[in-house]
Amino acid sequence: MVNGYHPKDLIEALKIRAEVSCIPLAGGTDLMVQNARGTGLSPNFDKPLLFVGHLPELRHIEKKEGFLHIGPSVLLSEMLSHPFIPETFKKAISQMASPPTRNLATLGGNICNASPAGDTLPFLYAMDAELILENHAFDRRIPIEEFICGPKQTELKSDELLTDILIPTTLFPVSYYKKVGQRRGMSLTKVSFHGLAEIVDGYVEDLRMAFGSVAPTVVRSRDCENSLIGEPVSTLKSRFNEIWELYEPSIQPIDDARSTATYRKNVCYNILKDFLTHLENIKEIYNE
Amino acid sequence: MKMSISKSINRTDAKGKIWGETPYLGDIAFDNPLYVKTVRSNQSHARISAIHIPTLPEGYWVIDKSHIPGKNYMKTVVSDHPILAEDEVLYIGQPILLVAGPDREKVYGLSKEIRIDYEPLPAVYTLEESEKQGMVFTDYTLSKGNPVEAFSQAEKILQDEYSTGLQEHVYLEPQGMAAEFKEDTVFVYGSMQCPFYVEEALTEALNMPADKIRVIQTTTGGAFGGKEEFPSLIACHVAIATCVTGHPVILIYDRDEDILSTTKRHPSLVRYKVGLDKNNTLTVLDIDILYNAGAYAGISPVVLQRGIFSSTNVYNFQHIRVRGRNFRTHTVPSGAFRGFGAPQSIFAMEMLMHNIAISLGLEPIDFKMKHCLKQGDTSCTGGKIHDKIILPELLERALTLSEYRKKIQTHKPFTGIGLSLFLHGCGFTGNGEQTIRGKIILQKKGKDVLIKVSSVEMGQGADTILRKIVAHTLELPIHHVQCEVRDTGLIPDSGPTVASRTVMIVGGLLQKAAEEMKSRWDTEENLEISKVYHHPDFLVWDNDTFTGNAYPTYSWGVNVAEVAIDPISYAIQVKKITAVYDVGRAIDERTLRGQMEGGIVQGMGWATIEVMHADEGTLVQRTLTDYKIPTSTDIPDIVCDFIENPYEFGPFGAKCAGELPFTGPAPAIAAAVSNALGIPIKELPITPEKLLEMKNDED
Repeated sequence: MVNGYHPKDLIEALKIRAEVSCIPLAGGTDLMVQNARGTGLSPNFDKPLLFVGHLPELRHIEKKEGFLHIGPSVLLSEMLSHPFIPETFKKAISQMASPPTRNLATLGGNICNASPAGDTLPFLYAMDAELILENHAFDRRIPIEEFICGPKQTELKSDELLTDILIPTTLFPVSYYKKVGQRRGMSLTKVSFHGLAEIVDGYVEDLRMAFGSVAPTVVRSRDCENSLIGEPVSTLKSRFNEIWELYEPSIQPIDDARSTATYRKNVCYNILKDFLTHLENIKEIYNE
Repeated sequence: MKMSISKSINRTDAKGKIWGETPYLGDIAFDNPLYVKTVRSNQSHARISAIHIPTLPEGYWVIDKSHIPGKNYMKTVVSDHPILAEDEVLYIGQPILLVAGPDREKVYGLSKEIRIDYEPLPAVYTLEESEKQGMVFTDYTLSKGNPVEAFSQAEKILQDEYSTGLQEHVYLEPQGMAAEFKEDTVFVYGSMQCPFYVEEALTEALNMPADKIRVIQTTTGGAFGGKEEFPSLIACHVAIATCVTGHPVILIYDRDEDILSTTKRHPSLVRYKVGLDKNNTLTVLDIDILYNAGAYAGISPVVLQRGIFSSTNVYNFQHIRVRGRNFRTHTVPSGAFRGFGAPQSIFAMEMLMHNIAISLGLEPIDFKMKHCLKQGDTSCTGGKIHDKIILPELLERALTLSEYRKKIQTHKPFTGIGLSLFLHGCGFTGNGEQTIRGKIILQKKGKDVLIKVSSVEMGQGADTILRKIVAHTLELPIHHVQCEVRDTGLIPDSGPTVASRTVMIVGGLLQKAAEEMKSRWDTEENLEISKVYHHPDFLVWDNDTFTGNAYPTYSWGVNVAEVAIDPISYAIQVKKITAVYDVGRAIDERTLRGQMEGGIVQGMGWATIEVMHADEGTLVQRTLTDYKIPTSTDIPDIVCDFIENPYEFGPFGAKCAGELPFTGPAPAIAAAVSNALGIPIKELPITPEKLLEMKNDED
């Protein structure tokens, strides 16, 4: 048997969180699979569950003071049909899992599951997204890069819940998303990449590049990005190998059931080259 | 005027399955059932030195080899797989014990508490290593003409090597069985292709006569050969468990357990030495075929036979030597899988022909067609091809529909087009049909007719097709014709549901019975007609020398594949498959198309994304998270066409169709990838990992 709590609102949820050691569950699309035991048996959770998917305070999508706020219990499918969600983010979400899974899975779940292959993460890293964590008394604000500290490891304390996801509303005229999986649908990522850029008069004004599934957490080399800001786009092609040398050490993929480290590294090289050498030609401009 | 038999009707099983009303094994309620969990080996090769069983609560059992009333092996072609392990285990996942009890949770818990001590023994994991150590199960050779002399006269001699990997069936419904004792009879229910295989296995395991055993097929959610011989093993498990406990018992695998422990497609290695004359005609071939049978021989000898008899594919070569060997490795046993050993050897032959043509600067089609079989030629076993061969017409149609000749001239970088020719031998290999002598019964009661056969519906449409053959012949509405439940107590043995034989052989018998019934329809209210299969007299076969007609006839196909390769990830997208077939005649066009499209997708999966390998005997891809089959988003455009070429001895001219479509896509896709990237493909699956490595090696 698995025990569960079904709080009526966030206050009650945080009160339970303060009193009981429990596992927050929104859509359950990762947790149910990770704890499945086989035919006719309920999943094996070592702690009671705290259901948070229905909490009204965690289901908002709104714009306030330069940020897009997304409630952690917002479904992936709801994000796909919402006008505030950037098109390039939708592109990543639309390639996640399958429609039935997207109708259950939440953005907060994808963040808190902290998988190196989480497909919403490269965009959130690239955008410098921040998270609000709350307990019954306080809240704190933390960049996503600091929140996720390793595969399945986060800074979430046992009395806290993730209550808000803040994405700056900065506009990037150039966006690039690539997911490499074993097949076209319902596939875990071998390598993913989200690239964002702003080019002004042939010079790199802003540049964000984040890789998924090639290291314990999403990889974003700020050194590399900063070294390219202010540079003329036209020189990136000839300087590519130099740029790659700067980026390469942070890419530390592994061999696993889905692919090999060598392949992943080679694909990262191809993606980065494709992105940087086509910056001028990429015309995927998303609308607010 | 009667409508054409080919005109599609609704599948008789479709509504219940679509609405979720059709019960499967897991939906059947038993009275106070016990649940069974299998305790398995976690060693590739080891001696069991001790088994530690916790104290069992009342009403719980642990069953081992000593509980088996009869022989401790699963009856099949080679009966070498113990029902429950004796002192030695030969693969990870091998069943050792069964735990049975009323509460699934407790049964599961007990199965985890059991500890088994092993003394590890040396294990062999790969085909190459097994060959080196001489761990051969079966070694066959056949020859035609005079290969030795032909090699001495050859202008040019080439050598080459091809390989294919593991494949999992991924039937929608995992394996499962239930059993109960009623009075003095054991009833076994489950998902299966071959009720009488199961019955035979049970008579030996239980040491009971067949009339005290009833095997009843439950709705079978896909099989693809995976439910040919394997269900006999778990049928023995549940039957023994019900005998020991006195309760009804249920054993249903979950997906991960099914992947871990059930049979897979044989990995293969095919080596060629071939000779060409000065006109670039292949005159002599030496083919060395190696199949990885896994830990036990089981059904592998027959799989290998089909592999070697299909090894020259659609081609006529004068001088041939074919050697085929099954090897043991300490991995999960290989078994029956759609195509049954033919797709591996045909892939190798098609790629050999393709690669030789490319290396000679020839268009592969022209090179292939120069060597094609014609009516009156002999197969590699020296059997005369009696029937008309319309391969040139199939090819022409496929080339036209796909615009192959234009596209091969104009394809862009990273896109490619490729073609395959293939056949499938209809019915059992060798004199199999003669040995089985399938029997059917057709019963008339008033205005209603009952079909009694052991050939099962497993999602392929057999019930609809068999009923349609009878209804069409009798000119009755189809609802007046029903199929008896596949219950060995109620049906004759029309043979197993395998080898693409159901329509051609069993359907053919039903058509004959229906014709006879029609002539007596008006005069007899109740009537029972039975028919037994006889091979046409002109077919000859010598099983000792492997000479004669290995198959009664063949179905043929041509595939054209178009692919696009992602220049960044080297992921292969199959954009389009054009397929043209000669299956004699379609009994029902839509059902036939269903078979063809399903076979194409499954063949495409085998060729591309279905990666499965074992690391020291442990499967790396153990769940459907890591083992990928194509989804609807991966399915290419499929253009599917048929040219009629009725077979005299098939119902309404029908030949075989179920396995044929699996074979074509792999060599066509491989040729297309080769065309797109300019590199030869010799290995399946074709993964982006391998392609990227090959391209990087090139640079």
